[in-house]
Amino acid sequence: MASVLLNDAEKTFILHGVEVDLRCDGRRRGDYRPMELETDVVSTASGSARLRLANTDILVGVKTEIDVPYPENPEEGKLEFFVDCSANATPAFEGRGGEDLANEISSRLSRAYQSLPLAPLCIVPKQACWKLYVDILILECGGNFYDAISLAVKAALFNTRVPQVTGSFLDGGSVDLEVSDDPFQCWRLDITKAPVLVTLSKIGDNCVVDPTAEEETCSVASIVVAVLDSGSLTAVIKIGEGSVHEQTLIETIKTAQKIGVELNSSLMTALNQEESLGPKRQRFGFLK
Amino acid sequence: MDLISDQGLRVDGRRAGELRRIRCKLGVYDQPDGSAYLEQGHTKVLAAVYGPHQIRGSRTKALQDSVVINCQYSMATFSTGERKKRPRGDRRSTEMTMLLKQAVSAVIKAELYPRSQIDVFLEVLQADGGNYCACVNAATLALIDAGIPLREYVVACTASLANGKVPLVDISHLEETMGGPNLTVAALPLSGQIAVMEMSQRFHIDHLEEVTQLALQGCRDIYKILDKAVKEHLLETGDFFPQLESN
Amino acid sequence: MPSDSKRITGPETTIPYHYYLSDFSRKPDFKDPKVGERKNGRLPNEHRPVFLKTGVNSQAKGSAYLEYENTKVICSVFDPREIPNKNEFSPMGELYCEFKFAPFSCIKRRGHIRDAEEKELSFSLRRALEPAVCRHEFPNFQVDIYVYILDSDGSDLAAAITCASLALADASVPMYDLVTAVSVGICRHLQFVDPTNEEEQLCKKTASAESIDPQAVITLTYMSTLEQVSEFTISGTIGVCHLEDKIPALIKHCNAIYPLLQQCLIKNVKKSLGKKKYS
Repeated sequence: MASVLLNDAEKTFILHGVEVDLRCDGRRRGDYRPMELETDVVSTASGSARLRLANTDILVGVKTEIDVPYPENPEEGKLEFFVDCSANATPAFEGRGGEDLANEISSRLSRAYQSLPLAPLCIVPKQACWKLYVDILILECGGNFYDAISLAVKAALFNTRVPQVTGSFLDGGSVDLEVSDDPFQCWRLDITKAPVLVTLSKIGDNCVVDPTAEEETCSVASIVVAVLDSGSLTAVIKIGEGSVHEQTLIETIKTAQKIGVELNSSLMTALNQEESLGPKRQRFGFLK
Repeated sequence: MDLISDQGLRVDGRRAGELRRIRCKLGVYDQPDGSAYLEQGHTKVLAAVYGPHQIRGSRTKALQDSVVINCQYSMATFSTGERKKRPRGDRRSTEMTMLLKQAVSAVIKAELYPRSQIDVFLEVLQADGGNYCACVNAATLALIDAGIPLREYVVACTASLANGKVPLVDISHLEETMGGPNLTVAALPLSGQIAVMEMSQRFHIDHLEEVTQLALQGCRDIYKILDKAVKEHLLETGDFFPQLESN
Repeated sequence: MPSDSKRITGPETTIPYHYYLSDFSRKPDFKDPKVGERKNGRLPNEHRPVFLKTGVNSQAKGSAYLEYENTKVICSVFDPREIPNKNEFSPMGELYCEFKFAPFSCIKRRGHIRDAEEKELSFSLRRALEPAVCRHEFPNFQVDIYVYILDSDGSDLAAAITCASLALADASVPMYDLVTAVSVGICRHLQFVDPTNEEEQLCKKTASAESIDPQAVITLTYMSTLEQVSEFTISGTIGVCHLEDKIPALIKHCNAIYPLLQQCLIKNVKKSLGKKKYS
């Protein structure tokens, strides 16, 4: 994680703030920081999105490649997450410094995304399928990775266009595929089964959503809950080195689920709104 | 397909001496001491500068009379047409890191910060030729944003030779892959000094002069664009420099 | 070592023949077991018999072996040592956990290098144990915990956590409490406490994309004396309403295993004291 140095007085200040429901940046315990989301920002990727949650900046690119299905799931495509912690975010990530964090995030993400049906990505059972590489680039860290990354991933998957396969020929055991090179001949993924993650950090006796990096250092345990549109949970992850009481756990998961459903619907509204602007909308990228 | 048509137009419609559109922004992020974003055509680069600060890691790296400059070049896995397996650590990235270090070392007033370190991190978000140039230019902007004393700007530009006679400036990825030599120059445009020069493939030595001149001209043109962006940024962020407005 | 050039090397990737067997159903469609009975004759909320043994590895500071019928786990814990490759002082000791499947433990052969799944399980293991260990007692040091799954038949993570906690206690690492973990598999109206591999597969596979039926494997790690949940993972899809009664049920199972660990440790202490008397 980004190195945030806080002394005990500062930690107490944050703790007391959370107790009276007024956090350091003026938010209440259940408030998110402002978010900016833009899709289709990288033209070399099949789908991309950039999400900025106050100081956390995430860029996600989705690339599609043709691959052979896993022998145990011959009728399904593949989905792979790769997280890269850029040194731009903090010098601690230089070289291989961010690798541990990156592995942790990507393995948790793939667990949460097990609910995404991969059958539509199959082209020829046992022979060929699409493999989606979801590459996540962390450009600045200001706390609350999981929420920001999951929102950006969902937006990027929404934006992903998989080319149509126009023909396939069986040629002596191996398959030859004809993939359309017309950029408009493509199909899109169904992302209703893609979860968003909601992090609740336990600070003192209360839980806060969307913790800043400073708040994260004050928290002993956080619960990350992956929530679908329908309100079902696909994963619950505990981060941090502390433990929680049974009752707290149940309460936290319940709260997170409510927030997750809301977050899902506002994300979809935002994505549809952007979509309705048409392909000629102005793209801001990093210039805004 | 020719690199340049009979009408004097290149594959993407530019003239031989024409640059791609450059758009840039200083101060994209709060956490680094300096940051910049630069777009050169479809090549998009982010730069972040940390420092000067205490040496990280082992103290033995510290220099008694100058600053340690630490660079890292990395490419997003989705930045290229074919997905990259690793963002950094491959040979090309290591070479780029080294060349970048050479370029920024040429301008930073290293003697001002003994026993300290400056980090320059570059992240290529989208690659479409001239990655190194975009990185050097972005690094210059980020260093300026960080307020690190520089001798002058360091600006990089590529040049090529089409059909064995017409020099081209600012080569795109398509032109790179279509063949033709590629001369990369990182220069200090005001004093006309060259910090880094690298060339791939070959052309006759008679052409070297004009190709180099064109690359240097490109550097001078980019310098003007960057300088304008810096001035605009300063006007935007504060009214410390009222005399700039008269320029 | 010179390689044997006359030997025929196997192909780089292999596929277990089981996938091609006609009765290998990747989506094992359980005949809806008569309510109250599972394939192996257990009740839905019945845990498999537990076998525990400490001090199985003479080279390690502490070790434990655990068996839930076909799930067999061995764990070794080594003395604290200085954290390698670290410059700054860390005020808390660290746990280094390595979770590894033996190459022969699963249907598919496991490689010698840890894969993504094993890495993820290592994270979970560390998260589960961290709250229970008095890490401030050994600042700047790390304790190495190696968990090796000898035979995998479901509930691997739960078995590994329980086994590791026992091994830590056997190694005399200062701890606040012992941790125990139990998994439960849920598939529609069926539930399997301490699921076997087959039952886990059933619960992990999404039957149809549209179904909203709960299908998940839940693992809960509990510290019985402190009444704290130290790790909780879900994989699958499940509604919140199902969780509310599953969590207390899992805790009850964790509490049931807890005295077994205690007994095992007490027996050990008695044995070592007895030895001393005669020496």
